[in-house]
Amino acid sequence: MIGMVLRRLAALPVILIVIYTITLTLAWAVPGNPLENPEGRQPPAEVMEKMKRQYNLDSFPRFYVSYLANASGFEYARDWATGQIAHERAQAQDAGLVPPVRPIFDFGPSLHNEDWTVNEIVAGAMPVSITLGALAILIALVIGLTAGVVGAVKPNSIADHATLAVALIGISLPTFVIGTVLLLIFGVWLPILPVGGWGGFKQLVLPSVTLSLPFAAYIARLTRMGMIEALDSDYVRTARAKGLSERSVLLRHALKNAFLPVLSFLGPATALAMTGSFIVERVFTIPGMGQHFINAVQNKDLFLIMGVVLIFATMLILFNLAVDVMYRWVDPRIE
Amino acid sequence: MIKLLVPVVLLAALVVGAVLSDGATKPADFTYINGTGTINTLDLQRMSWQPDLRAARMFFEGLTRNDVFTWGYDIVPAIAERWEISGDGRTYTFHLRESAKWSNGQPVVAGDFVYSWRRALLPDIASDYIAFFRLIEGAGGFYDWRVESLAAYEALPDAQRTQDAADALWQETVERFDRTVALKAIDDRTLTMTLTEPTPYWLDMCAFAVFYPVYPDLVSQYERPAPKNGRLDLRQGWTKPDRLVCSGPFMLTEWKFRRSMRAEKNPYYWDRDSIAIDSIEMPAVDEPNAMILAFETGSVDFVTDVTVGYRADMYARKLEFYDENRELYESLKAQGLDAIEIDRRLPDDPRKNIHVFPAFATYWYNFNCLPELPDGRDNPFADPRVRRAFAMAVDKETLVREVKRTGEPVASTIIPPNAIGGYVSPKGLGFDPQGARALLAEAGWPDPSQFPTVEILFNKDAGHDLVAQSVAKDWHRHLGVPTRLQQKELKVYPNDLKKANYMVSRAGWYADYGDPTTFLEINRSTDGNNDRKYNNPVYDDLLDRASTETDSAKRMALLSEAERIIVEEDLPMVPLFHYVTVYLFDPDTISGINPHARAMQNMFLIDVLGDGKGPDTPRAMPILKPALGGATP
Repeated sequence: MIGMVLRRLAALPVILIVIYTITLTLAWAVPGNPLENPEGRQPPAEVMEKMKRQYNLDSFPRFYVSYLANASGFEYARDWATGQIAHERAQAQDAGLVPPVRPIFDFGPSLHNEDWTVNEIVAGAMPVSITLGALAILIALVIGLTAGVVGAVKPNSIADHATLAVALIGISLPTFVIGTVLLLIFGVWLPILPVGGWGGFKQLVLPSVTLSLPFAAYIARLTRMGMIEALDSDYVRTARAKGLSERSVLLRHALKNAFLPVLSFLGPATALAMTGSFIVERVFTIPGMGQHFINAVQNKDLFLIMGVVLIFATMLILFNLAVDVMYRWVDPRIE
Repeated sequence: MIKLLVPVVLLAALVVGAVLSDGATKPADFTYINGTGTINTLDLQRMSWQPDLRAARMFFEGLTRNDVFTWGYDIVPAIAERWEISGDGRTYTFHLRESAKWSNGQPVVAGDFVYSWRRALLPDIASDYIAFFRLIEGAGGFYDWRVESLAAYEALPDAQRTQDAADALWQETVERFDRTVALKAIDDRTLTMTLTEPTPYWLDMCAFAVFYPVYPDLVSQYERPAPKNGRLDLRQGWTKPDRLVCSGPFMLTEWKFRRSMRAEKNPYYWDRDSIAIDSIEMPAVDEPNAMILAFETGSVDFVTDVTVGYRADMYARKLEFYDENRELYESLKAQGLDAIEIDRRLPDDPRKNIHVFPAFATYWYNFNCLPELPDGRDNPFADPRVRRAFAMAVDKETLVREVKRTGEPVASTIIPPNAIGGYVSPKGLGFDPQGARALLAEAGWPDPSQFPTVEILFNKDAGHDLVAQSVAKDWHRHLGVPTRLQQKELKVYPNDLKKANYMVSRAGWYADYGDPTTFLEINRSTDGNNDRKYNNPVYDDLLDRASTETDSAKRMALLSEAERIIVEEDLPMVPLFHYVTVYLFDPDTISGINPHARAMQNMFLIDVLGDGKGPDTPRAMPILKPALGGATP
């Protein structure tokens, strides 16, 4: 198992470099000048040229190398090893300046939001996306497992059909429809929940429920299938024959096995819920990573695009790894 | 079984941890959505975005400010308590008030202005408004010198580009500025400047946020010449809440990226007793529809930009409301009350919360005036008669009534009429399809179907497509010319305009200051915003003469003649309509928002009526005498 973890971690930088190269090539090809403010006034042309130079926006190879060196921590490691960082700090202090902030993984400044660095933006948005995504998956588990078990206990009953139908709707309806409908009902018609924003617990309810529904539907179907199979198996029959209570049979024997496919779904699902919630973020005005990513693409804010993509990719890979580890730990038969 | 609970527990722990690390906010006295609520920068010399400027006027103050509750947006003292202007109109001496303080208690001194304006004049900062600062004598030369010496520095071999060399260049820059630019701090409380020419709107400029000072002791800690290229290396960080030092009525206490900003009353502000609210919250809301919901559910008090598609319907409902109260409405209007005050005196009704005012801004179509089109063909629009004919063939009334539907005034001039005191607008051209056809024939196109296909370029958002369709239909119907629509992304659109890579294109302009030149300069042959590549020496000469004319009435007459050439003879652009500003707020509970065309809203004037703070009596514009006309709709 340790070998597997090490192998996967070793592959991480390779995968990230591939993602970095593809994304940067695509983002670079998008027309438009990221320093330009389409509706605003423009600084003189020669100033614009200088600024492009300063950010390496005039040369793809230079941008590629310099951004990678900064984001990967290479630049930091080198400056640390050569004593440059300590030197800069001492120099700044001598001159009475505020010492420069040097994060280890430096994703650069945001080109569009001049007062912010990508690191600051991500640090602010990350807790938001993680809260929303994790809560959504929790809700999805509760709803999905309950619905799945109920359906499997009496297959083809009304309860089963009802949960299947709801699951089908949950999978097929896009979140912007579900979100808007929930928002109308609970935010506008019976105004018991806020219509958007971020900060309080109340503001969490609608977006996390909206985000959870497609996952809940999927989990319900997985659970139902697993449960039906398990309930039909020999060991469940044995358990019943031993005279165990129905509750014990369902939860301790059948569900335990039926949960395995759900668990393997949980890894990518959690990563997806934390990174792919931009539609929900938009509907409920939530300042998460997804929103920033979309805005970054619209503004061609290269530093922010690359920063968010690299962080998303790292998260996705690590979550999958975490689930694989957990999977083996829960079910030692798996190699 | 326990093992199965582990992922669930981990997830739950994650949620709790993230929620705990993320504090909640308390409600403020006044909450408003400033644009979309996202501020690009609070660095005064680098801003150009409306919401940034609006926020800046709350956190900072300049020498002067506009009294936004007068119809002329009169200049009143701010940090300067008084000033003198020399006889030739070129030298200004400002006397700073003793009580003006930064939010750390330090006095605001004349040197702070010198430092900040020097900053604006550095190519290193890349201010979008650098042209305004070049009005100061010596400033243009200083800027050009800095550009050249930076280029020379960059050409040096690597070994010579050291920190010491960069510092020396910077030292030289500061000395050169002090020696050559006519901006001087005589003492802590006296600031003088000499301009290259008499500039009647200079006091108005001083009220513009880009001219407000930053706190030198703070900013200089974040700016240092870089050895690599000699330019100031601008580091972020000083605009954040725990660091920013403010000079205005409010100070920044919280700023979360694309989430919210919070302001609290500045205890050191010299005029703090006039402020009727203690705290302001500015949430970020990107989605136009979510803004309306936030207002309707009571979580925000004021939306500054209502852009939802159904705003025309909201406005229609307000007109219905006026109809139901026609008699009262007319009598209030006859008294000369401003639009907001009229609403306030009408019965309480949610339909009246939407407010539409004509803005100090114009929407138009550019003609490419170059002799050749980008693809090398002869450009039919190089002939002013053709441009005039096309301008006369647009049915603007119908466009405004049926397409825009939000009460936009039809435009026949580029400067909104009656918005600038002492300026008489030319008449412009009316809708005249027959005259247009005759003119087109006279210009050599008796058979309009032979006319090259007219390509209309526009960017794809904000309903520009509907306007383009309407204009294309008019040109096809009334002139008989073939047309084609060409839609582009906003990101690439400005580039096409700058390079004159179009035949006809959509454009618009919001005034920067209260003088006709804010609209007229953009048609000067050498201006950076002359996207039409219009070139008429007579026009340029009128602007030149106006710039040296010291008699205000004569100057206005010259400018009016210049505009007449644009809107009656040469038509490098067809003005279509004047923009409107659409606000959402309840006039019965919020006071301090003005209905002026220039739409400069100062949040420090806000008073929440009936909250027990401040005077709690609504602020209104002076009564308009109907004979004088004015900027109300």
